[in-house]
Amino acid sequence: MIKSPLDCFFPQIKLQFQKNSAIKKQNFEVLWGLTLYLIQVAFFRCEESGDTGCKWDLFFSLGDMAASKTTNNSNLIWNFFCSVNLTIFLLIILAITSIVGTVIPQQDSAVEFAQRLNPGFFRLFSFLQLFDMYHSIWFRILIGLLALNLIVCSIDRFPAIWKLFKTSPRPDRSKPFENIPPDWSFSVKGNIKDTSTPLHELLDGQFKKIKSKETDKGLYFYGEKGRYSYFGFYLVHLSILFIILGGILGSFFGFEAYVNIPEGDYVNSVRLRAGGAPVKLGFEIRCEKFFVEFYKDGTPKEYRSDITILADGKEALKGNLTVNNPITFRGITFYQSSYGTIPGNKARIGISRQGPNPSDVSITMELRKPVPLPGNDGNIHLADFRPDFMRLGPAVLLVVRPPEGEEKKLWIFRDHDSIRERFPEIFEKFPGLNPAAFEPYFFSLDQMESKNYTGLQVNKDPGVSFIWIGCFMMIVGFFIAFFQSHRGIFVRAQPTKKGIRISVAGRSNKNPVGLERELDKLSQKLRNLFMT
Amino acid sequence: MVNTVILSYITFVYFVSFFFYLLMMVIGKSTLGRIATYVTLGGFVVHAFAIILRWIESYDLGIGHAPLSNLYESLIFFAWTIILLYLLIEWRTKNKSIGAIATLLAFGAMAYGSYSPTISSRIQPLVPALQSNWLLAHVITSFFGYAAFALAFGLSLMYLIKRLDNPEKQNMFLNLIPRLSILDDLTYQMVVIGFLLLALGIITGAVWAHSAWGSYWTWDPKETWSLITWLVYAALLHARMMRGWRGKRLAIFSIAGFLCVMFTYFGVNYLPGLHSYAQS
Ligand code: HEM
Repeated sequence: MIKSPLDCFFPQIKLQFQKNSAIKKQNFEVLWGLTLYLIQVAFFRCEESGDTGCKWDLFFSLGDMAASKTTNNSNLIWNFFCSVNLTIFLLIILAITSIVGTVIPQQDSAVEFAQRLNPGFFRLFSFLQLFDMYHSIWFRILIGLLALNLIVCSIDRFPAIWKLFKTSPRPDRSKPFENIPPDWSFSVKGNIKDTSTPLHELLDGQFKKIKSKETDKGLYFYGEKGRYSYFGFYLVHLSILFIILGGILGSFFGFEAYVNIPEGDYVNSVRLRAGGAPVKLGFEIRCEKFFVEFYKDGTPKEYRSDITILADGKEALKGNLTVNNPITFRGITFYQSSYGTIPGNKARIGISRQGPNPSDVSITMELRKPVPLPGNDGNIHLADFRPDFMRLGPAVLLVVRPPEGEEKKLWIFRDHDSIRERFPEIFEKFPGLNPAAFEPYFFSLDQMESKNYTGLQVNKDPGVSFIWIGCFMMIVGFFIAFFQSHRGIFVRAQPTKKGIRISVAGRSNKNPVGLERELDKLSQKLRNLFMT
Repeated sequence: MVNTVILSYITFVYFVSFFFYLLMMVIGKSTLGRIATYVTLGGFVVHAFAIILRWIESYDLGIGHAPLSNLYESLIFFAWTIILLYLLIEWRTKNKSIGAIATLLAFGAMAYGSYSPTISSRIQPLVPALQSNWLLAHVITSFFGYAAFALAFGLSLMYLIKRLDNPEKQNMFLNLIPRLSILDDLTYQMVVIGFLLLALGIITGAVWAHSAWGSYWTWDPKETWSLITWLVYAALLHARMMRGWRGKRLAIFSIAGFLCVMFTYFGVNYLPGLHSYAQS
């Protein structure tokens, strides 16, 4: 017997692969040609838009961030992988190919779809692994290329970024002060020597790496902030590598499994979703009780399992499992995922005897515990319980052992009357289903005990912490990259005929409007400091 | 229920503000623009009030939860985020030129929610999987992201319209639209904000899925489409930052991105999958 339709389905695809290796080579060449072409297309030049250099600020604004390119590396492959055109190309190709998997049913649901497909398409689709495309070789290669692209670029860019990070300008430069707005410059009375300490103190509170220099032209200060912002994008890119790594770890060292535990029962192994032998947990998990709660309109409100985990012969953990509140033990996480009922091992059986001395009793019987028949006609016992036998509802297998002769096996249905209505002749046609087959008795199934079981999803994913770290890094990286900039501030105090002239200036790798605001504020502060 | 009645009126308030924004652009009177802003602001405040009212009403029904749990509620919230972001832009830039598009989009979302026969506006109880604060964070961040992309889309459309401008004609309507470079810059900033929020939306969604089902990513069509959208905008950002793409090409890129957003939101319901809104 075939366990799951997939079992017979995927080997076929593999087989196809081996047969078509010739086609594979050809396909590869076509793909490669297309790739090269698209890369060429991606090498567009920048479009000139009439008036550039405007500063229009909404929440922030960005200048040009592209750092100087290092073009001295002549290795062709290296250059190929450190091009941002490759990045754009790969991002778009990933986006486009991802669409395919949302249109073609994937994995389990692909089976039905695949059966309706004509053989030619089926072969093509399975050759391209389109029935599980997110795990296909080519999709993984695309992601791998993206990762490689990121790594190569990061390495390639690093020296340039590091230089930017390390260098800092001489404080006594006059170029930054050219063309500053009049607001950023003012005159005060006094001696230039007395400005040094207050200026130092003011800048110290707000900026880092303060440098000062005294020349015959005046007193110069330099301070800065946000130097680390050069690494914002490194953080973002690193986060993507973390996420990819987390995914790989999960798929190699993790598993997805499930288990059903009846109330009061325990298990020590779980079944993999992908099939195969059960996986030993190394500890036991017991379901004490399962609850379902409903809203007034019948919508389920809560599923809850009270579970206990037993490890090394001791009770290790006790807790309530609800949807959205999983429990993790030794790296294995249990999720509330489904529930259901299974028959217990007790049933109430009605026994009526027709004829000379009729009787009518109803007794509770346990599985495999024989009970004598009222008229010393031997005994009966229950051999099997089925919640839904032959799609006709709950049934038990009743075994009748007369004092002499052969034993009789009868399936007794709970819904005897309604079955008879639907299939009038069924009980007469099949003696094994006939509750009156052992004369002069008539058996009925009055009630069947049932037990709840809880269905748990059981997962192990050692990559998941990488994923969350990656996500966190990405968000932090975004904020640094987009909302922080490296700002250098210059302050100059020059002696004039009447006193001192103090000016501020600055530069920033992005967000010029933010810099302007900062300098406005700084010059206001300096005014307050020296003019009172 | 009172809230749905109020919300169905708000739909027309936004239509009225759309009308005034449009009139302002055609006639060029600033009074009309001022009226449009006040109408929008009024609608926005009542809109917020109605959402809070709906929240309270759900508690009165004994099934209290934030009104962000089905398609109707998401459409109402989407319209609200569009208007909020738009009003912020108008306030920061003192320019009303994308008002017409913003209010039209909000009107569309509200009208679809309130008047489509296939969308139920009833307050429904939350099934166990949806009872999660991560889901709440997921919906809020995603929809603010969508709203930012919607405005980027509006700005890009404006860009393409403005490009038709011909200095000799001195078309009044086109004159009211800001300069091309400003539109370009604003589009870019909205895309950055949307991109960040979409990333947050995907991440919070993954955390939620992980706690509810045990896997942070299952390649279900809605997830995949949000990733597609994210990839398209990531490509857009790299094209702009590293290759210096500007102007028309970027505007078209951003319009394509917004089409992906819309498909993530609505189109996915026609594909096989299990995301929650698909059923309601
Ligand atoms: C989706 C995955 C991503 C990939 C594969 C990727 C890849 C790359 C690559 C290869 C480069 C270097 C190009 C070069 O040096 O010529 C680059 C640059 C850049 N990327 Fe990404 N990136 C991704 C996501 C992001 C995100 C989400 C952001 C936004 C925050 C971002 C922002 C940048 C920036 C600003 C640069 C320029 C950095 C510099 O000047 O050195 N990237 N990206």
